[in-house]
Amino acid sequence: MRYRITHTTEYNYPEMVGLSYNEARLLPRHCTHQRLISATLKLNPLAADYRVREDFFGNQIAYFSIQQAHQKFAVTATSEVELLDKPVLPGFAQALSWETVGAMLIGQYTPEFLEARQFILDSPYITATPQLAAYAQPSFVPGRPLIAAVNDLMQRIHEDFTFDPHFTDVATPLATVLQHKRGVCQDFAHLAIACIRSQGLAARYISGYIETLPPPGKVKLVGTDASHAWFAIYLPAYGWIDFDPTNNQLPGNQHITVAWGRDYGDVTPLKGVVFGGQQHQLKVSVEVECLESCSH
Amino acid sequence: MSFSNQRDNKAAQLATSSGAIVHPWYSLAKGDYDEMHNSAGIVRPHWNEFVQEMQELGIQEVERRHRELLKLLRENGVTYNVYGDPEGNNRPWQLDPIPLLISKEEWLGVEAGLLERAELLNLILTDLYGPRELIRKGLLPFELLYSHAGFLRACDKVRLPGEHQLVLYAADLARGMDGRLWVLSDRTQAPSGAGYALENRLAMSRISPDLFRNTPIQRLDRFFQSLRAGLNAIAPHQVENPRIVVLTPGPLNETFFEHAYMAAHLGYPLVQGNDLTVRDGYVWLKSLDGLQRIDVILRRVDDSYCDPLELREDSRLGVPGLLEAARRGNVAIANPLGSSVLENPALLPFLPAIAQHFLGRSLRLPSAATWWCGQPREREYVLKNLENLVIKPVNRGTGKASVFGNQLSRQQLAEWRERIQTHPARYVGQEHESFSSVPSIVAGGYEPRQAVLRCFVVACPEGYAAMPGGLTRSAPLKGDVPVSNQMGAMSKDTWIVASEPQADTSITISQPQEKAGSRYSSALSSRVADHLYWVGRYAERAEGSVRLLRTTVKKLYNNPDHTNSSYQIGIFSLLRSITHLTHTYPGFIATDDDKKGDLVEVNKLLDFPEPELLSIALDEDRAGSVAHTLRSLFQASYAVRDLWSADTWRVMDELEQHLDSPNPLGDISLWQMQEHLDQRIATLSAFSGLVMESMTRGNGWLFLDLGRRLERALLLISLLRSSFTSSQSAAVETQMVESLLDTSDNLICYRQHYRNYFELPSFFELLLLDQNNPRSLAYQVARIQEHLGKLPRDHMDDKQPSMEQQLAQEASKLLGLVELQALLGVNNRGERLNLEQVLSRLYQLLISLSNTVTAAYFQHGQVPYPLSASRSN
Repeated sequence: MRYRITHTTEYNYPEMVGLSYNEARLLPRHCTHQRLISATLKLNPLAADYRVREDFFGNQIAYFSIQQAHQKFAVTATSEVELLDKPVLPGFAQALSWETVGAMLIGQYTPEFLEARQFILDSPYITATPQLAAYAQPSFVPGRPLIAAVNDLMQRIHEDFTFDPHFTDVATPLATVLQHKRGVCQDFAHLAIACIRSQGLAARYISGYIETLPPPGKVKLVGTDASHAWFAIYLPAYGWIDFDPTNNQLPGNQHITVAWGRDYGDVTPLKGVVFGGQQHQLKVSVEVECLESCSH
Repeated sequence: MSFSNQRDNKAAQLATSSGAIVHPWYSLAKGDYDEMHNSAGIVRPHWNEFVQEMQELGIQEVERRHRELLKLLRENGVTYNVYGDPEGNNRPWQLDPIPLLISKEEWLGVEAGLLERAELLNLILTDLYGPRELIRKGLLPFELLYSHAGFLRACDKVRLPGEHQLVLYAADLARGMDGRLWVLSDRTQAPSGAGYALENRLAMSRISPDLFRNTPIQRLDRFFQSLRAGLNAIAPHQVENPRIVVLTPGPLNETFFEHAYMAAHLGYPLVQGNDLTVRDGYVWLKSLDGLQRIDVILRRVDDSYCDPLELREDSRLGVPGLLEAARRGNVAIANPLGSSVLENPALLPFLPAIAQHFLGRSLRLPSAATWWCGQPREREYVLKNLENLVIKPVNRGTGKASVFGNQLSRQQLAEWRERIQTHPARYVGQEHESFSSVPSIVAGGYEPRQAVLRCFVVACPEGYAAMPGGLTRSAPLKGDVPVSNQMGAMSKDTWIVASEPQADTSITISQPQEKAGSRYSSALSSRVADHLYWVGRYAERAEGSVRLLRTTVKKLYNNPDHTNSSYQIGIFSLLRSITHLTHTYPGFIATDDDKKGDLVEVNKLLDFPEPELLSIALDEDRAGSVAHTLRSLFQASYAVRDLWSADTWRVMDELEQHLDSPNPLGDISLWQMQEHLDQRIATLSAFSGLVMESMTRGNGWLFLDLGRRLERALLLISLLRSSFTSSQSAAVETQMVESLLDTSDNLICYRQHYRNYFELPSFFELLLLDQNNPRSLAYQVARIQEHLGKLPRDHMDDKQPSMEQQLAQEASKLLGLVELQALLGVNNRGERLNLEQVLSRLYQLLISLSNTVTAAYFQHGQVPYPLSASRSN
């Protein structure tokens, strides 16, 4: 499955901006089931300084600064990726109980386990409170396989929570989301991760895209897609397994991974600090095109 | 303080020459360890010399020196800001005249221990932001690192050139009852105190040169030379004469004095985040002469506040892009960002094993016994023994001070137990022992006080070097533990002395130093220029207001003649001028649209002006008042503290002391206020005199004097406008001329020129047009023109006069065209329209000039702010 993604972010300022410093995590990373074919970042106005490096979690991160005065700033990320089929989980991996996995995680010092272990701990956006642990508890019955428990949790979140793009913003605390049972993909991913971590298990936050299909009989409109977020859990001897609580599904070949980290703060697609400009307007559009071997 | 002679004599007997204590108050409990006496009450050998000296001086002399010491520190403006202090921000530094003495023999061991510890922490820091072998080998618990707020993932793999990642290190040491020295905590991010230690030493040597002559004490200068060498060594790209700055959070920070002091001592510019900018991946100082590249930053800003792009986005203290510049190796930051990860008390229990691993031996200087609650057995221990331990959070920060278990109530202990059980990994328990005591001066004698010693280490090319001695802090009260300067601890000098007198072998070896006064060190940042400009303006404004107030008060009380109507009119005119000059409207002014009731108010004020005048003089909360202007002057000066000479600062300090004394004038009358106004004028004159005499004529002085000239011109215009644009009887105008001459300090000069006959044209000649009178308007405009011509310009075309030069030129031309008879002509409504027109035009020109200068030179104030991020759906 091959996709081309065009992600445009535009800032409009009522006054001149003299200097702007930015970090973009918009270039998709390589991962086991995803091959990166090409990725470019186009900036307007041009950056005086531009450099790409790998961050702490192995994501591609572009640093750039605009040193000419401007009132409008546009970043367009265009990338092509190929999603590979995921193998079926072996039976023994499916059967590992969540308690066994929890015990394995803290007892071993291989690089892989140590890498996974950081995703058990609280992070700036996610604190595993007793309330969240209590919400998680019905899914984590004793002896249940980890996969089954997380599947159950995902399903419950999907049923209990309402998708509402107007209720929360980037900074809404999880307690509010839990109380009002509303939010968007970012909130649901954070919530699920908090629940899983409250059980001593590792879960990480993934930012990326999902191909949305038009309603039957309608033509797909350009730019109607959005960036998306979900989570993954660590299963020893197998690796990371993705879950999408917003859509209640195991991401297959429609989810394109850009970056992962402990929470949203580690993978913010575009952040910046500017001098001047005053209150700005932000416009974002995402388009995910299926290039070949798509089923529709 | 007064003591009976008998008490004094007793107190003077610190110790007899045979060594036994006779002082009845210097009482040590059994088992306590005292630095000066052994358990038998005998003075320890390395204190002998000192004790004898003190004995010869006598307690009265020591107390006198103590007072002198505090006065000296106060005058030098040595302060420690205390957050939320009701007495205002700047608390004078407290220094006890009795130092802590450490024998040279013991110090050799301590020094070796400090260097070894710095070496070890350097290896740990390098590992934690590198391979993290300590985690993989299980020598450090995973959570201890990954849950710590100081572990900044963005700083991973960022390295300084050379093997030393930890450039500056400080350790708090205390001696237990068993006589051993222990490390209580390590300071690795931006350790403070080295500057205070130096200032303490200088103050002590000034008040007690005799002690220093007779006791061989190791000097501190070599440490600061090592610091210089160390900062030079980490410069990127092996630059030969690196440009180094000291980065401070600003004047509100608790140790701002020290930042300014260190910067001045080391000869580096003191900068705030806004003074720096990142362009093309390098760091630059925004100076008036353009951007100047910076190679090394000695930082006193906490690491997470240093870069709003990659670290805390709400920081106003940092420089966006700084971390990226450091990552590329284009700037070196000492200590590197992320080094606060070592300030985790939970590391302490793991150090012995890590020392074995890295160094193959155990540490010479042990740490205080510490238990990290992230481990089950250790947690059990802490919970069981909570009332005997110090509870410390692993993350430092506001509201995260250490808590002493023995000071907690039953209820509080239970709360702490719950807190620890909920988030065990966030706390450690540390053994709480009594520390050794040092003799401290208290009213009329000496008493033992527990002390903690902060030691300083710096990395230089030859390896780590320690300051001989350090900063000792002693508890304010008996039995207390010295916690921090925030809590009111007393500081002491620290002497490393030989038991037997011997030649001081540690005389400074002069090292080749980088050339001072290289181009960048004279570079003036636009923020500093802005402050200096306002120092000039506030100083002049304060002086102008005080002078006018004094003239008025004199006239009101010295020979009042209430029956004389021209006297009354003259007084009213002066009172109105005060309101105009100080912008404290409505005050003595009635406007045309005032209602009748307001008019009655104004008339009442004119008849009984005392309360309003007192308020204009003293009410600091009232904008425009003298007190308010003086406070602004102090604040602007304090923000550029590093630029003032010691004498100049002493004058500033006097000003502040007057402001700080609660209700300085009490219930006194205006009449008594004259003397105080005289004092203010003397202080302000001393300040401007010192500025004239001791400030080099660089850009800094230019901006200060520009501000002063401009303000003087504006005040003069305001005075002339409010007094003469409507004509009065000759008798009244004669009075007003006299008053204004007095105000502008021109009375003598006028009399010399024109005898005693006060007439308007000669008055205007002297104050408006006389090029040689330093108080005249023409003189101010000429100086302004001169200064503007010397200011740096980065315009393409230097030959074209700048906007501000054009404005000054026009003002000068306008003055040149003035013909006095025509200017002072009166129309049939009794108005001097020509005068009003010329003065208001001049006022406008000068105000636009000020705005243009501000726009051209002081545009540093833009604050960076974060862009809102898009959200995933």
